[in-house]
Amino acid sequence: MARQRSVFYLMTVPALLLFFTFHTIPVIQGIFYSFTNWDGFSPSYDFIGIKNYLSVFQDGDVLNSYLFTFKFAVLTTLLVNALSLLIALGLNAKIKLRQFFRGVYFLPNVLSVLIVGYIFNYLFSNVFPVWGAKTGIEALSGNLLGSMEYAWIGIVIVVVWQSLAFNSILYLAGLQTISEDLYEASSLDGAGRWREFWSITFPLIASFFTINMVLSLRSFLQVFDQIIALTGGGPGRATQSIAHLIYTGGFQGQEFAYQSANSVIYLIVIVGISFVQIAFLQKREMDM
Amino acid sequence: MQKKTNWTATFLIAFGTLFILFPLYMTVSIALKTPEEMAESLFALPTGFHLSNFTKAIELTNFFQAFKNSTVITIATVLFTLLTNSMVAYAVARNRREKFFKGVYYYFISALFIPFPIIMLPIMQLTTALRMNNPSGLIVLYIVYGLAFNIFVYVGYIKSIPKELEEAAIVDGASIWGTFWRIIFPLLGPINATVGILTCLWAWNDFMLPLIILGKPEMATLPLVQFVFQGQFSTDFNLAFASYLMALSPMVILYLIAQKWVINGVTQGAVK
Amino acid sequence: MKALTETQDKQDLHNDIRGTTQMKRTIPTKQLKKKAAVFAAAGLLAAGSILSGCGAGTQAPAASPADKQGAADGGKVKLQFFQNKPEAKVSFDALIRKFNAANPGIEVTQVNVPDAETVLKVNVAKNEVPDIVGMGATDTFASLSKSGTFQDLSGHEGVKTVQPAYIDMVKKTTGTAELYGIPLTSNANGIIYNKALFAELGLTVPKTWDELMAAAEKIKTAGKVPFYHTFKDSWTTMISFNSLASNLQPENFIEDRKAGKGTFAEGYKEIAEKQLKLVELGHKDQNGKGYGDGNTAFAKGAAVMYLQGVWAIPEILKANPAIELGSVPFPASNDPAKNKLVSGVDTLLAVSKTTKHSKEAAAFVSFLLQPDNVKQLITEQKSFSAVQGVAQDDKNVTGLNAAFEDGQLVDFADHAIPGTMKIDTIIQEYYFKKDMAAYLKKLDSEWEKVQSRK
Repeated sequence: MARQRSVFYLMTVPALLLFFTFHTIPVIQGIFYSFTNWDGFSPSYDFIGIKNYLSVFQDGDVLNSYLFTFKFAVLTTLLVNALSLLIALGLNAKIKLRQFFRGVYFLPNVLSVLIVGYIFNYLFSNVFPVWGAKTGIEALSGNLLGSMEYAWIGIVIVVVWQSLAFNSILYLAGLQTISEDLYEASSLDGAGRWREFWSITFPLIASFFTINMVLSLRSFLQVFDQIIALTGGGPGRATQSIAHLIYTGGFQGQEFAYQSANSVIYLIVIVGISFVQIAFLQKREMDM
Repeated sequence: MQKKTNWTATFLIAFGTLFILFPLYMTVSIALKTPEEMAESLFALPTGFHLSNFTKAIELTNFFQAFKNSTVITIATVLFTLLTNSMVAYAVARNRREKFFKGVYYYFISALFIPFPIIMLPIMQLTTALRMNNPSGLIVLYIVYGLAFNIFVYVGYIKSIPKELEEAAIVDGASIWGTFWRIIFPLLGPINATVGILTCLWAWNDFMLPLIILGKPEMATLPLVQFVFQGQFSTDFNLAFASYLMALSPMVILYLIAQKWVINGVTQGAVK
Repeated sequence: MKALTETQDKQDLHNDIRGTTQMKRTIPTKQLKKKAAVFAAAGLLAAGSILSGCGAGTQAPAASPADKQGAADGGKVKLQFFQNKPEAKVSFDALIRKFNAANPGIEVTQVNVPDAETVLKVNVAKNEVPDIVGMGATDTFASLSKSGTFQDLSGHEGVKTVQPAYIDMVKKTTGTAELYGIPLTSNANGIIYNKALFAELGLTVPKTWDELMAAAEKIKTAGKVPFYHTFKDSWTTMISFNSLASNLQPENFIEDRKAGKGTFAEGYKEIAEKQLKLVELGHKDQNGKGYGDGNTAFAKGAAVMYLQGVWAIPEILKANPAIELGSVPFPASNDPAKNKLVSGVDTLLAVSKTTKHSKEAAAFVSFLLQPDNVKQLITEQKSFSAVQGVAQDDKNVTGLNAAFEDGQLVDFADHAIPGTMKIDTIIQEYYFKKDMAAYLKKLDSEWEKVQSRK
């Protein structure tokens, strides 16, 4: 039997080593570089202690990218979860052509994020303004992405459009685990729709809500492809996300180590937020 | 509860699909139009099939090369991910009382919370040093990075498979290795579908990893090619959209064929 | 609230679902078992070979198609030519075809990507410098040269044929005695104007800033748009900036700034004021339009003037082949003698230090520098030759020839500004918000921030 047990180790250890090599070591390297002044391509570098960190904390561009990223991620998370829950409820109701609609709503999920960004970029420049002009609403007749104040809303729209698909399907899966009997019991009590949702439906899919909130916030905090396709971080730096700043800043020269320091702070922030989120939402689940 | 059709919900859901379908309608229609038609009306249906946009786009972006790259990368990634990740998950799930395997489980899961940008710069150096800045290197990275999420999904599923089957096999003298491949792996069908679909979508549509890993233009995947040719499209949107449409089509067609299966697969993964 | 025992219920439900799915599944047939075993074996083998392959530094089984080809066509020398101008891709492709046909042993392929300088640095960081690089004499070129990315080309045969002024410009950019790039073409940015509309409105070519403003006012009263701005693409804001800053900034401003003398707030005041004037002479959607939109719109007569480099002319002609264009140097001040044409090295050719094929790369550089090839390139691109004795006689840009002949040239101001500052985004923000005090302050604070991090 002991010899048999070793098979389990054989199954795990190679994967562990690979993961350590390609994931953990780079993380450690990133942390290591953050204490140097390496530009990413010179043959040598020096240790400079925590100078990068001090600079990051004084860097308006970094602060600006955090503000944008959080503003964007929080709003998008709320919007996506609220709307996808609604869509899931609709798809779970007794409707005509349910299969067809379910298929349509999931469709955006199979499309490349980058290409969706390019398509919307064109629509924002050349299609929506035409409508805006027709309806005579001044605010809509320009290109939303060309506005310092509102470009981020354009990005929210595109991300929501695409992310609804996956979250709706997850919520729908959750709703389908609820048995009809519960509702029948409650309808005998004469509970209204609203009450029914809050006292039966929502508590039963609370775990899905937790997972969705955590996962979507995590992925929206890392927004990158859409930024590349829609605004390139502009106008000015109005829509520069943290990931975009690390990518562009890391290669604009003398910035590799500096942006590593930025990524380490970013790592701490994301991990912190995820844990707080999980703790808070799970506590809610328990309380319900 | 009510056995009547809910017309309000039907109407609202139908209305919502307009928002989903409009951008896609525009994509198809712009890809089929000539610039002259575009000037006449933005929203009208294209009058004929202007395939010249497509032939030009194929030539300009070397479409078939990119399509081949994307296909090879995706298929290899999905195949090896299913075979390897499920095996690791099995070892972890069946020994989760032990310190070592419990540690492995949490080690993988915790990686889910590490944002990608922190490894973006070092991973470039590493893959270059190991001469992995090519499609095979990219495949390895997808398989390895997939572990974090897939272990989580697989372990949840394997936990629910009764042990009696394996125990019976072991008593009959089968090895653990054999038991996994012969008995457990075939039972993983539904969850393999889930993991396979999610991995397939990720590998096919990913942009960031190919951007920083792939060194040579002839290795480029479909999303990367769209990025590379943005500058060439600047005055000819019809050409750009023909290119986008061709890049999106393979996945959309696959999805339409296997739609039910895809959605059920994803749903299956969600209901742990 | 009804306290349902939902956790319990949920568990039961999960188990129900699981149960049903598993109940339907019996142990598969023998045939399937075999298949799975074969599959698994094959998978492991392949996985193993991929991993061992990578470790040993050889090509893994899923070798890229290009490598297979390389083996198939008798080991041609493959060279990568990376250049940063999307407009020039087709022209370079034509020259590359010509070169490849004349040199059957060599195969050059072109790489052209958006945000080319960032991608180039990514490649350098990956230790994958393209064999030959075509780019402007920018800050990025300077920092790559200083970190030892490129070969010293001082001894290359083509150097003798190039205008010495441009060689000096490259050396000045890198601040080295070595020559890391051979200038091939130079560009100019000034005003591109629509000749038909100029004639229609009875305008003459402006020679001073005041004349330019008067012309713009006249255009506005006629109900037309003076300048077609495309500020959605941040780099296009550099055109007006360079036109003004190159001519109006104090002598040795950047050198002094490095030494801690002077500030942008003092030295750039007039520049900032005039920038704002230009911004206000645009059109309603200027913040939402990009470079591609601008070329198309200007070709259709949406505006009378267009602040762009000559590289935009082929793109404009693509959208409207019949249009007649004129080009003039930008009149930044009211002293015509002081108004110089902003012109810099548009494309220089650099060769990677790590290339395995220096000889072939040098041959390709020589080929591009041949007068007939330069001629072909500048004819298509409407740029100017850095190689002596090759004239640009395209009627769309002849308005700039006088400046070239008299040497009334000044280099792009932004070439001296560190790329890390991302000055284009700072200017873009200024054009959107129009807050001059904030703009000048930001130029100073960003400059100091970048210097302190060095």
